[in-house]
Amino acid sequence: MEGLASLLHGFSVALTAHHIILMMIGVLLGILVGVLPGLGAPNGVSLLLPLTFTMDPVAAIILLTSMYWGALFGGSTTSILFNIPGEPSSVATTFDGYPLAKKGHATEALSYAFLSAGFGALLGVIIITLLSGWVARFAMQFSPAEYFAVYFLAFASFVGLGGANPLKTIVAIGTGFALAAAGMDSVSGNLRLTYGFDQLIAGISFLVAVIGLFGLGELIITIEDGLRLEGLRARISLWQVLKTAAQMPRYWVALLRSGLVGCWMGITPGGPTAASFMSYGLAKRFSRRRENFGKGEPEGIISPETADHAAGTSAMLPMLALGVPGSATAAVMLGGLMIWGLNPGPMLFIERPDFVWGLIASMYLGNVVAVILVLSTVPFFAAILRIPFSIMGPAIVVVCLVGAYTVGNREFDLWLLLVFGAVGYAFKKLDYPIAPLVLAMVIGDKAEDTFRQSLIMSKGSLSIFWSNSLVATLMVLACLLLILPVVLPYIRALLRRAAPAQ
Amino acid sequence: MISRFGAELVTAVIATVFGLTVTLGALEFGIGWSPSGPEPGAFPFYIGLLITAAGLGIIIQTLVQKRSSGEAFLTAEQLRAVASFTLPIIALVVVSPWLGLYVSMALYLFFTMTVQGGYRIYMAALVGIGMAVFMYVVLEIGFKTPLLKGPLENALGL
Repeated sequence: MEGLASLLHGFSVALTAHHIILMMIGVLLGILVGVLPGLGAPNGVSLLLPLTFTMDPVAAIILLTSMYWGALFGGSTTSILFNIPGEPSSVATTFDGYPLAKKGHATEALSYAFLSAGFGALLGVIIITLLSGWVARFAMQFSPAEYFAVYFLAFASFVGLGGANPLKTIVAIGTGFALAAAGMDSVSGNLRLTYGFDQLIAGISFLVAVIGLFGLGELIITIEDGLRLEGLRARISLWQVLKTAAQMPRYWVALLRSGLVGCWMGITPGGPTAASFMSYGLAKRFSRRRENFGKGEPEGIISPETADHAAGTSAMLPMLALGVPGSATAAVMLGGLMIWGLNPGPMLFIERPDFVWGLIASMYLGNVVAVILVLSTVPFFAAILRIPFSIMGPAIVVVCLVGAYTVGNREFDLWLLLVFGAVGYAFKKLDYPIAPLVLAMVIGDKAEDTFRQSLIMSKGSLSIFWSNSLVATLMVLACLLLILPVVLPYIRALLRRAAPAQ
Repeated sequence: MISRFGAELVTAVIATVFGLTVTLGALEFGIGWSPSGPEPGAFPFYIGLLITAAGLGIIIQTLVQKRSSGEAFLTAEQLRAVASFTLPIIALVVVSPWLGLYVSMALYLFFTMTVQGGYRIYMAALVGIGMAVFMYVVLEIGFKTPLLKGPLENALGL
């Protein structure tokens, strides 16, 4: 029950008027970036991060995580009312959310989405509360070799389970590492990979990269599609919300299954997008009302939403306890933690328990605040989406430029932003995954440090990565994940041959 | 029209060249073993090789599969839309060191709204100046974060 005591202490840290106001601001800003095309959770948090450099870390992380929750909710709003996913992770919500809203049940569709999202998020926070202390204590015995193995496993799972072309995933990961390596080498103090450009001495900021990759890149894609908004009107009545809430327990199987899928995908770096699709697929396969999917089936809204938020929330667990983020947004926050001078990982639980447990407590509260705020502000944010894109698009561009400049007050960053915008656009169109690139950029230096420290300990022998059962297990798992895309077609073919004529 | 096949190929070639650049750049710092552990270039060197190998792999994959050969990456119409969106952004970045970000963003919004959006001049001016003032209040007054300034701000003594 030590966790409970820590959690209660956390509530005493988080529950101040100042923090609750920040929470509400964060959620509202989050819904805004979630609703707007081109802005989403990762770059919304990146845009806000430079403004928090001077804040107290607890207040700053509450603001940023609340923005994350808000963005997850905002993305669902546009999926349901406009059939446009505000976030990649809410694409699966459009499949049934928009049809149900179109039938005239917009309130039900939104309520199903927000309530199940809230449930998923709470499940994620409970998992964090129960497991994080334990994981952190377990990780205390990690040497650099184990850490490197954990990083390796995280990237291997992107290659093996990410769903994109494995070679393209490798290019994305490698690019992230290479960009992280540019500038000052944290071990030797040498300058590396600057190619004579003074501007590269300070390195390449992952914040500028995220704003360009996710922000500008996505805007260009939106432009190219010729954005057409056909929004449905929604007036939220409390009575309807309550009636929908009363229906929720009927879907307990879908809620629990999706929540578990989400938590699993969040902790292993599968991410919310993969989780929501997987959960939708599972719901469709196992539902008794299968033929109703795609036509406005509540289970088709509940499943992806629960998984999306469960994954988004539980992605914070490995970030806090191990220093390995489970999603692109968590990666940005991890970078923020390092900028604030905190050292993410197990030591954080010992050095700054007030920070860790304050954050965890704020997650409970933040998600409740988010559900209430998002339900009460739907008409307002739906109205924002009716502003023509010829104003909205350029305005978002300005916000991205300003955000990139505030990262380090450098003109050079504006050019970097354009380059990353082009890369993001090309990556998106050609199905190169972006999240692994961001993850590699943020933890690139740490991964390299652990690798070098391990080799120093073993005097250059790679056998240190097989030297005890823990590190060997991690490495074997990672290698299995790496060869998964290669062997999977053969396994499928074998299974098909084993079970012919069905 | 730009074909998907061409775009795949060009991107993979760029990735390969990037990988080679990293590999060669890393050689400069030593990739071997020194008394204090692996030399600084070692990790980037192997990362560069990894990118190069994966890039070459994608080139071969694209050439062999030819699955994407008929597909369009960008139609002429889409290309025009993308260009008319991105060119003003590039112009904005080019002029901002001289004019400052506030003035440039107002001009940029004014331009896109009048020329591309078909708005009236007073409306566009209102939105452009309104955005710049809003940003100034939020950043310089709210968060005490300075932004790139130009001659206008100097003249106004801000």
